[in-house]
Amino acid sequence: MYYFARAVLLLTLMYLALTSNLQASNIVMGLLLSVGVMALLRPQLREADGRRAGTAVLALFRYIFVLIWDYIVSGIQVARIVLSPTMPLHQAIIAIPSDCQSDLGLALSAHALTLTPGEMVVEIGDDGTMYTHVLDVEKVETAVAAAQKQREELLEKIFP
Amino acid sequence: MMTTILQVVALVAIILGTFFSVVGIVGMVRLPDVYARLHATGKVGVFGVVLLLIGAVAWTPLGWGRALLLIVLLMVSGPVTAHALASAAYRIGLRVKEPVRDDLREI
Repeated sequence: MYYFARAVLLLTLMYLALTSNLQASNIVMGLLLSVGVMALLRPQLREADGRRAGTAVLALFRYIFVLIWDYIVSGIQVARIVLSPTMPLHQAIIAIPSDCQSDLGLALSAHALTLTPGEMVVEIGDDGTMYTHVLDVEKVETAVAAAQKQREELLEKIFP
Repeated sequence: MMTTILQVVALVAIILGTFFSVVGIVGMVRLPDVYARLHATGKVGVFGVVLLLIGAVAWTPLGWGRALLLIVLLMVSGPVTAHALASAAYRIGLRVKEPVRDDLREI
């Protein structure tokens, strides 16, 4: 019950911040929407651990920074391939192992991998191996394992 | 002074955003197969839209909060869409053109 109330309060505050309208009707609207959203969601109870919150927030910011940087580099790299007259393509689908156990961790690290320059996850195997399509296999092969390891460590800190 | 800076930011963002949107379309035409094309549309195209959004917020009196939320949603949904389409394409039997290696073929 406490969990439910806290989530509804947070969602309502988010709604009010986004609509920037503090009339009573709008507050009621936000409350109704939040209760509706929470009624449709399956609650995931997890013990909050106060000591780890600091490292988690720090890791979250580092993770977002890494993602934005990857996004920019990714855009420039694909643009260079597309615009070059000879189109230097060495396409391949390579298997990248993953250490993540939970579904959430797997989904997030697949998302991060897709944002990495020149890579896109095509299929995830039963053991968590990510079959990734790469535009230029010669460029990425060595760098990809290290980069993925760093990201998975950050995710581990955010979602213990 | 502040408005001038914002206008410059908006101009740069809109020019870059248009450039990357065009690159997304050119890639769609020039690249050889589904997977390579998804790289161009799913990532570069969305990148262009994000830049256009930044330009729109800097130029017009819209809230940063809403734009930030939209950018986050685009950054989350763009790669997910690309992955879903690629996965579906592989399942109906489309193969990579001239692959150097294909680890997925064995299973």
